[in-house]
Amino acid sequence: MMSYIHVRNLEKQFTVRQKRAKGTMLREKKIVQALREVSFDVEQGELLGYIGPNGAGKSTTVKILSGILTPDGGEVTVGGRVPWKERKAHVRRIGVVFGQRTQLWWDVPIQDSYDLLRDVYRIGETDYRTRLKELAEALQLETLLRTPLRQLSLGQRMRAELCGSLLHRPELLFLDEPTIGLDAVSKLALRDFLQWENREQGTTILLTTHDMEDIVALCPRVMVLGHGRKLFDGALQDLLGRYDTLRTVEVRYEETGALPDLPSVVPVQREGETLHISYAPAEFATAELIARLQQAGTIRELTVQPQNIDRLVAAMYREMDL
Amino acid sequence: MKAYLSAFRLRRRLELQYRGAVLGGIICQMFFGLILIAVYRALYAGKPQTMPLREITSYVWLQQAFFRMLLASDPELLDKIRTGSIAYDLCRPLNLYGFYYARIMAQKLMGSLLRAAPMLVFAFLLPEGWGLMLPASAAGLAWSLAALILGLLCVSALENITMGFTMRTLDSRGMQAMLNMLLMIFAGNILPLTLFPDSWQPVIRLLPYAQLLDAPIRLYTGQVPPEAARGVLQLQTGWILLLIGLGILFWRQNQKRIVIQGG
Repeated sequence: MMSYIHVRNLEKQFTVRQKRAKGTMLREKKIVQALREVSFDVEQGELLGYIGPNGAGKSTTVKILSGILTPDGGEVTVGGRVPWKERKAHVRRIGVVFGQRTQLWWDVPIQDSYDLLRDVYRIGETDYRTRLKELAEALQLETLLRTPLRQLSLGQRMRAELCGSLLHRPELLFLDEPTIGLDAVSKLALRDFLQWENREQGTTILLTTHDMEDIVALCPRVMVLGHGRKLFDGALQDLLGRYDTLRTVEVRYEETGALPDLPSVVPVQREGETLHISYAPAEFATAELIARLQQAGTIRELTVQPQNIDRLVAAMYREMDL
Repeated sequence: MKAYLSAFRLRRRLELQYRGAVLGGIICQMFFGLILIAVYRALYAGKPQTMPLREITSYVWLQQAFFRMLLASDPELLDKIRTGSIAYDLCRPLNLYGFYYARIMAQKLMGSLLRAAPMLVFAFLLPEGWGLMLPASAAGLAWSLAALILGLLCVSALENITMGFTMRTLDSRGMQAMLNMLLMIFAGNILPLTLFPDSWQPVIRLLPYAQLLDAPIRLYTGQVPPEAARGVLQLQTGWILLLIGLGILFWRQNQKRIVIQGG
C-alpha cells in the first residue's frame, strides 16, 4: 500500500540569469539545483513541519506537490494521483496558503471572494453555509465577512486566506509560511486553529515555516531540507536532542561576591549580582553543578534556561553546512 | 461554467466600487469627444467630404462612449502575474484561459456600459452637426447591437492573448502598450477607419481591430446597409474563433513551462 504522499528521488533545476559584471551587458546562465533526490512519505492525517534555511527548496517542493510546477525527475503521487499530470482532479482535493501572496479579491468584501470559491469548487449551498459558519467561528471572522480585504489587518487577512483555502474541505493543506509577520495573539490563534482542523477534520497538513515556535507547537514530525537535499526526517525532539547540548543557568546569591568553585569547562559570567553559567550536561553533570552552586552560598534565585530554539536551529544549519 | 459566470459577476461588481473614477472617465471622454468634433468641423468647413459630418460626429461619440471596451488594462490581473499570486489561480480546478476571459470581459462590459449610458444621452442632446444621430434604421440598430456583442468577445480574446505574453515577459507594459496603440489606431479610436486612405481600406477593414467598434458603428450609421450585415458578423465570428483558439493554445503552452518565482 502506497502512502498518501509518496515522493521518490525528486529533482528540480532552475536557470537563473545573472549579470556577469558591473558595466557589461552580458548575462550568465547559472543552473541552480533546487531539489536533489528528495524522497519522503506522508500518511493521511499527519501534521508535518518542513524547515530549512531560505532557498533550501521548501517552496519548490510545495509547488510541485500542489501541481503548479513540473519536476525534472523523480516520482510523486498524492492520493494516488500525479499532481502535474492530473492537475484539475488533484487541485480539487488540496488547499494552499502562500503566506506572501493573496487569493482573495482586494476591493470586495471577503464573503464575495468566498462565494466565487464556492462556485469554483462547486460546493453545494448548504454545505458551503455550514462550512463557512464553522470556519468563520473558529477563525473569528464572523464580523469581518462584509469588510473588503484591503481594510483588514495582516493577522485578519491571514485568517481570511486560511478560511478561503479550507472552504472546499481539502484533504491536504499546504501552508507556506502562514505566520509570517503576525503578532503573538494572531500566531497563537492560528496555531490553535490548525490543530483543531487537523484533529477534527483529519486534514493532512504540510507546514513550511521559519518560525520554530510553530513547529514546536504543531508538528510531531519535522523534515529538514538544505541545499535541495533532505537532511533529517523524524521527531522534533530527536532533532533538537542532537544539537541541544548547552544549557544556561542563572544564579543569584544572598551574599554579594559569592562565587562557586567550577572547572574551566563551565564558564561563568557575572552581570551585576547575577551569574550566568553555561554548561553541557554531557560534560558536567547537572547534579554536580547544583551541589557546587549550593556550597558557594545561600541561593536566592536560580533559573535554568533551555537553549533558545532559534539558536539551536542556527547551530544545526551551521553543522549541516547550510 | 458557474465558476466563470461567478468570476464575471465579481469583476463586474468591482467595477462599481470606484464611482468617482467612472464619473471622471465620463467627463474626460466627453471633453475628448467635443475636441475631436471641433477639429473635424474645422477640417470640414466648406469642403464636403466622402463621409457626411453627422456620421463623423456619431462615430466619434460612439467611440468615446465605448472607450473602456478598447482600453486594455486589468491592473489587478497583471499584478497577479507579475507578483506570482497567479499561483493561487493555478491551484484551482479551472481552465485559466476561460477564468481570465470572463474576468476581462466583465470589466470591459461593465466599464463601458456605466460610461456609455450617460454619454450617449449627452451626445443625443447636442445639436445637429455636433451630436449623435439616430440609428439609420431599426434593422441597422439591431444588427449593430449584435455586432457590438461580438466586438466585445473579440476584444476580450485579443486582450487575453496579451495576458499570455505577460506571463512570458513578466512585464505588462510592453505588450499592453502595443495592444493599446494598435487598438487606438486600427479600431478607429483616433481617426474613423473610413478616413484612412482608400488603398488601406481592404486591409484594415479585415483586421481584428476593425471588428471591435468600427463594425457596429458602421452598421449603426447605415454606412454598411443592413443587407450586408450578415457578412460583417461572419467576419467577426471568424476572428473570435481564431483568436480564442490561439489564446487557448498559447495559455496551454504557458502553463506547461510556468515557473512561479520566489518563495
